[in-house]
Amino acid sequence: MNPSFKLLLVLIIALEVSFTRHLTINLVLIAVTIIYLLTKRIRPRLFGWLFLMPLFPAIAVFITIAWFSPGHDYFYAWVLFSRIYVYVFTGAAITQTTSPLELTRSLEQNLHLPSKFAYGTLAAVNLIPRIKMTVKTIRAAGQMRGIYLSWWSPTLYFKAILHAITWSDQLAQAMESHGYVEDRARTSVHQIALTTRDWLILIVSIILIQIITFALP
Amino acid sequence: MAKKNNKFHLRDIILLALVGIIFGVIYWAAAFMYNALTIVFTPLKLPMMGNDLTMGLWCMAGPMAGFMLKKPGAPFLGEFLGAAGEALIGDQWGAANLISGAVQGIASELGFTLTGYKHYDWLGAVATTITTTIVTFAWDWFRNGYNKFGFKNVYYFSGRLLSMFFFCGVLVMLIERLLERSHVMKREEFND
Amino acid sequence: MNQLAIDNLTFAYTPRQTTLKDVTLKIPTDSWTLFYGASGSGKSTLMRLLAGLLPKYGGKILQGKLQLPDGLTVAMMFQDPGMQFALDTPQHELEFALENLQLPSSEMPARIEHALKFCGIEHLCDRQLTTMSSGEQQRAALAVLVAMDTDILLLDEPFASIDNHNRSLLIHQLTLLQEKYHKTIIVADHDLHGYRGLAKQIIHFENQHAQLLDAAASDALLKSADQLAATVHHVKLPTASDQPILTLKNVVIEHGNEKLITANDFSFFKNQTTLLTGATGTGKSSLFKAITHLASYQGIISYDGKDSQKIKPRRYAQQVGYVFQHAVDQFLNVTVKEELALSLKKGQNPYFDDEHLTAALRLLGLSKLQDRVVYSLSGGQQKKLQLLLMLMMGQPVLLLDEPFSGLDFHSLHNVVDLIKTSQKIYPQTMIIISHQLEGLEKLIDRHVKLADGRLSYREEF
Repeated sequence: MNPSFKLLLVLIIALEVSFTRHLTINLVLIAVTIIYLLTKRIRPRLFGWLFLMPLFPAIAVFITIAWFSPGHDYFYAWVLFSRIYVYVFTGAAITQTTSPLELTRSLEQNLHLPSKFAYGTLAAVNLIPRIKMTVKTIRAAGQMRGIYLSWWSPTLYFKAILHAITWSDQLAQAMESHGYVEDRARTSVHQIALTTRDWLILIVSIILIQIITFALP
Repeated sequence: MAKKNNKFHLRDIILLALVGIIFGVIYWAAAFMYNALTIVFTPLKLPMMGNDLTMGLWCMAGPMAGFMLKKPGAPFLGEFLGAAGEALIGDQWGAANLISGAVQGIASELGFTLTGYKHYDWLGAVATTITTTIVTFAWDWFRNGYNKFGFKNVYYFSGRLLSMFFFCGVLVMLIERLLERSHVMKREEFND
Repeated sequence: MNQLAIDNLTFAYTPRQTTLKDVTLKIPTDSWTLFYGASGSGKSTLMRLLAGLLPKYGGKILQGKLQLPDGLTVAMMFQDPGMQFALDTPQHELEFALENLQLPSSEMPARIEHALKFCGIEHLCDRQLTTMSSGEQQRAALAVLVAMDTDILLLDEPFASIDNHNRSLLIHQLTLLQEKYHKTIIVADHDLHGYRGLAKQIIHFENQHAQLLDAAASDALLKSADQLAATVHHVKLPTASDQPILTLKNVVIEHGNEKLITANDFSFFKNQTTLLTGATGTGKSSLFKAITHLASYQGIISYDGKDSQKIKPRRYAQQVGYVFQHAVDQFLNVTVKEELALSLKKGQNPYFDDEHLTAALRLLGLSKLQDRVVYSLSGGQQKKLQLLLMLMMGQPVLLLDEPFSGLDFHSLHNVVDLIKTSQKIYPQTMIIISHQLEGLEKLIDRHVKLADGRLSYREEF
């Protein structure tokens, strides 16, 4: 499926389940995404991680509703519990099947997102290893001067932002040097197709979700 | 006074995305806080308190971006591009975060809008603290079932306001003061 | 017109301070030119002006103008290899660049293939750039310019952090680009060794001015650069009475998937000043990062007989200090005064009482700069302040990564004096990475060379 449309569908689903209280649709969506992920041959370990990672916040929400709120509404507790898993699994359906570059290219070509947003963000993402290293170095610099920089220390953020200012300057200049000009048309080496099939999948999925949400209990 | 350039250029976009990602990276170093606070507050029958007390940390990139670039749209982009960046690296909360990123972005933007994009000072910080608290709380009202919590919402709302005030108000202002004193954001010294 | 014309150009980043003043130059196309000068002398600034990145990205042309030959394209390669890619792999970056040039997609594969082959990185085309060595990254950066078929190639200190093998590969490719494809190549470098026979002309940057050297002066400069590297100083080998302070046992240090250093049993000794040399890109800084736990390694690095990993981080940071290559990484506050106050409060070096600190500040020319923002200091001032701050901290072991770069000879002399005086009162173990060897004879007790992935003591440097 076209990456932009996949994202669109997942966002629509996330919005819709946020504003409805319907256990069936949540369970159906989780089941469908699991099947989808299985057909894409996702590693079993990742499934374990997808189940475990949101467990803590999901339980927190569950017990708040079920035990500690006036109505003791167990049904609603399950709705909220499963809702978190809908977010995580549908999210994984994108991140596990589409590369950042494919998504970026699709957003640029199919949804006509200005390329400076698409590639600017992508360039920043590619610096994540360096950001992590830098945060480590800043904390080491602190320790060697006898101060401990914890995650609420203004100095830690200040120093990291100083780096970000330099990097954004360097990266923007490097991208320009590689021929990039803001707001100018670009060609594309790979055309990301947007077919009738994509439209069909999107529309049919949305209709099916409405039917289950409003027609089934 | 010269006309202010309110357009976002490539460099601004990279910077905003980087700031968002930096806050995300540091947040994950403190992710245990959410769990620890939840465990502490559950016996007090307030399990969601961890969510409310750490919420400010999630929303820092927005006001920070506003203070740094002092342009309409910067708070929204700072918050949203950070979330988009996390979604792009395949973070498992990614796609869902895109929506909360947008909500939080609008929330912090609103504080600067209400003060006419003229108050990059305490007033702006307080305004964005309040709008971020109200908007994200309203969002959780539907999304995380806060509509069911009854009078306990008084505690949750207060907890969130406190967290927003500390992280998005006090901490962001402290960072902003360091940046201001260092003159590092004065890129256009000649253009005044 | 077959030249890049710079006419009476004055450029400043801030109203207070000009970087280039009244520069008039004519750089011929279809030739190889070197920009030579110390760091901060304006080489990089002129390059960015030629590339059209300045004044767009800061500063202002106060007078004069630059003119490039009509229709010729310009592109730049940068000093920091990891900071010039928007995308994750060489293949994707090449595609990105060609899309920017609005090349039809049918023409792209051939261009990309040619560029990758030309730079010898076909095997790396789908590797993550972040996992590549600096040398490989620079070759990927050159591949982008080759694919773009740029007429004028500007390279800002392109070899600053890469190994000799990659350096000679790059120089070979650049020579080919110049001679066979008639490209205009301009390289900025602070170190001229190895350029003999390549560069047609040298432009010397000094005191905000830039001027073309004549053939005789150029040749003399290139010759002396090659000779300077060959001046020999003698030092002693470790003796039986030396006490080990840092010991590496079965240590392997890697970068990406490249093995940099193997040390089965190697020690640095207590209260000695050891010079660590080795070609760029061999892993000297990686060794410092491993010792300070900023990079991972296999094996055991022990401090004073104890596995360093078993010492609490906070305590270990009080034992082993790291003077970073980039001075600004060391700073934590805003003004010089605040930085000094922090080191005074937390430092353990007894030499720096009020009187000696005042004298040191005067010696380093920092006394009148106390209210200045550290980020606004010149490169040399930052270096001196950084060194002073870390000397004041007084960790028993201090690792210094290029502490003298960007210092003029007078400053270097004063800095060496300060270290010697402090060491007399408070002996410290120091390990120093430095490409600058002249003027260090007084300071150095031992010399360790890193070559072919091995560390060994040498009698001369």
